[in-house]
Amino acid sequence: MEILVCVKQVPDDYVEVHLDPASGTPGVSAIEQVNNAFDAYALELAVRFCEANGGSVTVASIGPESSQSSLKNLLAVGASQAFLVSDAALSGADEGATTSYLSQLVEKCQAEHGSPFDLVLCGKESTDEISSQVGAMLAENMGVPFVSSVVEVSPCEGGLMAKQETEAGYSNYQVTTPAVFTIAKPNYDPRYPTIKNKMAARKAKIPTFSAAEAGISTQTNRVTCLGYTEPPKRQAGVRIQEKEAAEAVNKALAMLADAKVL
Amino acid sequence: MAYIISDDARELLKDVKEFAEKEIKEQVKAYDISGEWPKEIYDKAIEMQLHMMDVPEEYGGLGLDHIDQAAILEQIAWADAGVAVTLNGNGLALKPVLIAGNEEQKQKCCDIIVNGGWGVFALTEPDAGCDAGNGKTTAVRSGDEYILNGRKCFITNAQVGDFYVVTAMTDKSKGTRGMSAFLIYKDTPGLSVGNHENKMGIRTSVTSDLVLDDVRVPVENRLGEEGTGFITAMKTLDLARTWCAVIGVGLAQRCIDEAVNYAKQRIQFGKPISSHQAIEFKIADMEIRTEASRQLVAHAIRLSDLGMSFGRESAAAKCFAGDSVVQTALDAVQILGGYGYSREYPVEKLLRDAKIFQIFEGTNEIQRMVVGRSVISSH
Repeated sequence: MEILVCVKQVPDDYVEVHLDPASGTPGVSAIEQVNNAFDAYALELAVRFCEANGGSVTVASIGPESSQSSLKNLLAVGASQAFLVSDAALSGADEGATTSYLSQLVEKCQAEHGSPFDLVLCGKESTDEISSQVGAMLAENMGVPFVSSVVEVSPCEGGLMAKQETEAGYSNYQVTTPAVFTIAKPNYDPRYPTIKNKMAARKAKIPTFSAAEAGISTQTNRVTCLGYTEPPKRQAGVRIQEKEAAEAVNKALAMLADAKVL
Repeated sequence: MAYIISDDARELLKDVKEFAEKEIKEQVKAYDISGEWPKEIYDKAIEMQLHMMDVPEEYGGLGLDHIDQAAILEQIAWADAGVAVTLNGNGLALKPVLIAGNEEQKQKCCDIIVNGGWGVFALTEPDAGCDAGNGKTTAVRSGDEYILNGRKCFITNAQVGDFYVVTAMTDKSKGTRGMSAFLIYKDTPGLSVGNHENKMGIRTSVTSDLVLDDVRVPVENRLGEEGTGFITAMKTLDLARTWCAVIGVGLAQRCIDEAVNYAKQRIQFGKPISSHQAIEFKIADMEIRTEASRQLVAHAIRLSDLGMSFGRESAAAKCFAGDSVVQTALDAVQILGGYGYSREYPVEKLLRDAKIFQIFEGTNEIQRMVVGRSVISSH
């Protein structure tokens, strides 16, 4: 099974983001870029699948040249090759444009890889914009089956079984390949690299293409983000500090009555 | 400040930091109480190859720069000094093999470690601590074998060892020149492990007696010539002291981090205690001592990498880092006040972990002896 994992670099989501007062956009310029967490889960799932069933995993990304560093880190944890498209003309794309670029990147990666991909994986969402659209649109664009929020993939007669996480539990789908899945958090974490793999991966050269070299034609955005607002600050709660429990309960009930909750 | 390392090593260090925070830091709290050896943590560390940083590249090792290795070991020690001591135990056991062993011995021991095994260095005896040359363990030649008898104590990793480097007297009459070093493999008849020490700190590191009762060791398992065991052991300690200091620095850095985090959120007299000069100065002293220790380590590593003599600098680094980490841990407890004395907060453990750094791999009294004699003899 030949698997392609699409990876997006996002600001480290451990860092709290505030709006930059000058630009009114999220102030992320000083925050380190890392691989989107769901994309990292997708890679781990793909690598585990190939370890069990054979095959190889390719990773691809569209982003600034500095993304090479994050892609090298994925080579250390099981990806066998990585491709990057880096071109200022592609930045600021909406989901539709991104999908179009990704579709063309999949073609380019297949040509470089020398064989078509049986499965393309994306994270179920990116932790920065969280629009959760690109994977589904990519499947539509490629004209292949799609399953969202997948946490487990296994081979089956005629294709793949995909276990989808839903709010109520799980759904199992049988799909033909090629297919596109988006990946939710499985019940494991991405592996740590061995020191040897890490140091070898850091020395790797990541083939990096301009839009033209990758055969990508730019597209105008059809969705425009009008602005950002920060969520309202949580207001301080009320403290009930009466010494006796009975008094505290009475006070709480009185406050609820005042607020017309009761 | 920290060690100046390459960008690639910095990326690796991020992974190690994540590992230290997610897989070590919180898990060790329970093991610190129980005294159990945290095999689950070591299994994961082995998977990441953190146990084999001392294996040279030509014997299947990682080829890390020593300064990168120091940064990584420091990060592990930051999460738990005992875990760092255990992992570093492999380096301690490999050093005498690399110093005095033949090619076959080197490859065999490196293979054991690469495949996830543990090495053990056994020098100390009940009556031979600082006075390591006064060992009572004997090795008597009998045909193609030596028969070893004696008892070693405070031996790191003895319970889990796959190979042991053991010193024994082959000729008592020659004093330190009558000591030889031997490689003994796990399950050799007569080799057994005594009680696990119930220690004050670094409780995730297992420390035990090693008992030798008519242990027959083939002549080809002797490390180097007969009579060179003491020199091999001293060279081993010269190298090992730097790494001991590295671990102390990691522990000291943790003390700083815990103390600063607390001081910034603890409000007294209407402002965080970190804004009070009494605390600010204490934190400054903690940082100065820790960074000075780190740079002594970096200097000793640099000298060693350049093939220059570094015994004095290694002893100075170990001694200074050891004294520093104890004071820094005391300061951290003081900054946390009553909470610092409580087992609910992390710094009480850090103080218990710190004390050993003035004791093991040669007490700080011995380090001062090494430094003092070196200075005086070079004048």
